[in-house]
Amino acid sequence: MHTQFYSLRNFLKLSVLMLMLAAFAAPVAAQSVRPPGNAVNLDDGAGEGPSNALGDVSDTQIWDNFRGGNPRDLLAPAPEGQVMTTTGQIWRKIRENFIRKYLGWAPLIVIGLLAVFYLIRGPMKISGGRSGKTIPRFTLSARVSHWFMAGVFIILGFTGLIILLGRPVIAPYLGLEANSVLTSASMQGHNLFGPLFIFALVWLFIKFVRGNFFQLVDFKWIFKLGGFFGGHVSSHKFNFGEKSWFWLVVLVGIVISTTGIIMLFPGLVTDVRWLQLSTILHALGAVALIAVAIGHIYVGTIGMEGSIDGMLKGEVDENWAKEHHDQWYEDVTSTSAKEKEGTS
Amino acid sequence: MTFLNLVEGPLFYIAAAIFVAGVAYRLIGILRLGGKKDLARPNGSAAGGALYTVLRHFVPRRTFWRGSSFHFFAGYAFHLGLFVVLLFAAPHVAFLQARIFGFGWPVLSHWGFILTAEVAFAGLILLWIRRFVDPVQKLISTAGDYMTLILTFMVMLTGCLALQESHESLRATHMAFVDIWLVYFPFSGLIHTFTFFFSRAHTGATYGRRGAKL
Repeated sequence: MHTQFYSLRNFLKLSVLMLMLAAFAAPVAAQSVRPPGNAVNLDDGAGEGPSNALGDVSDTQIWDNFRGGNPRDLLAPAPEGQVMTTTGQIWRKIRENFIRKYLGWAPLIVIGLLAVFYLIRGPMKISGGRSGKTIPRFTLSARVSHWFMAGVFIILGFTGLIILLGRPVIAPYLGLEANSVLTSASMQGHNLFGPLFIFALVWLFIKFVRGNFFQLVDFKWIFKLGGFFGGHVSSHKFNFGEKSWFWLVVLVGIVISTTGIIMLFPGLVTDVRWLQLSTILHALGAVALIAVAIGHIYVGTIGMEGSIDGMLKGEVDENWAKEHHDQWYEDVTSTSAKEKEGTS
Repeated sequence: MTFLNLVEGPLFYIAAAIFVAGVAYRLIGILRLGGKKDLARPNGSAAGGALYTVLRHFVPRRTFWRGSSFHFFAGYAFHLGLFVVLLFAAPHVAFLQARIFGFGWPVLSHWGFILTAEVAFAGLILLWIRRFVDPVQKLISTAGDYMTLILTFMVMLTGCLALQESHESLRATHMAFVDIWLVYFPFSGLIHTFTFFFSRAHTGATYGRRGAKL
């Protein structure tokens, strides 16, 4: 009995000792034991990617399995139930490495170029000065439709640029919280005013399409660079620059409106690639319009004397009309611009 | 106390009190002006004439339709849109219930709000534009008219920008503009919200008594 008890006590002591040894020795053993030669280590130490639960499948293969879509055929239907898509990766790269990195510079470059042009060329004055006599150019409803589009466009432009470029441009300077506030506000404003842009676009098209079709005389305008570097250019009611701007607004406006609707109601499309394409086209189109709009604003205000009168008062000075839109002047007054010039 | 607590707490109540007192002061002032007593025998009902004119002037006469259709559509778009948003937007009803009335009423859905706000904005922007591109209206417009437009636009805009209700600062900005707007209201052209009734009724009563409909 005593012997039995003694041996039991020794057994317990030995067990405790073994457990303690095992507890302390385990981590050491784990570090010192070498993996077998055919083992595949999926843990790259970066804390990324899945564990080695799939055994001898490489990271590349695992990610390939996650990704749906054929990189060689982006239009092929993407298999359903994939976490990532090939087009999604391409979309992300375009957005991060091109749109958000470089696109925001476009309006600033235009402003810079115009500033240089203004310093060199100065404002285009009406040669011979104002005559004091005016002729009607735009009706009240045409003017209202123009300014309605302008107002909505400015709101959408500012809010859109904040949404697009807030993270890389605003956040580093004002902080993440301020950027979050501005982006939240901009998103609401953008979504609210977006549909008004469609209304403005239709109205603008109806009011201005007449006279905005290209004509032979527009080629002369192109060859003379619009007269911005000197020389007289002949044109009807709208010159080549104005016509191009009109069609750019209409066509890009249609693209922006369509892509905007898709982004506002993503349920309208069943393929995620339409959404990816929409965000890219929306950003490209919008920034292009903003950049050209800056040029339009320049010519309409400080760049050309007397041009804003047509949109504010509805009437322009006769000398301005003769100089910039001589054929329209002749149509309106039934008088030759040169003849009138000689008599005035 | 945060800025939000301030602008939707004490400052809001002060602004609301100034609004109520100011409107009362202006209306009582108009009523106290009185008028010369008409001693002639009445040919018609003054009350009927007043009621007729108040209602009839909601729609322009056919003769003036061409010249006033713009104001008709833009004006109604703005005013109806604004009143619907003001009285039936969910955040407004919740605020009025919590701060003033203690009870609520049915509210607009999210998309109902968006559409109504768009109609209101379109109307306001059109009326604003008309003010500086129409030579006649430009001539008769004062700095106060533009101030009224800008302030109302800012109240509406900041309210819509805060729609996500994710940042206190956006709500506080909206409430700050609401407070300023309430204080400005009685002493500006905004008072027409109430005085249009008196103006039409007075004209209608005067002519109604003479047996004419205007």
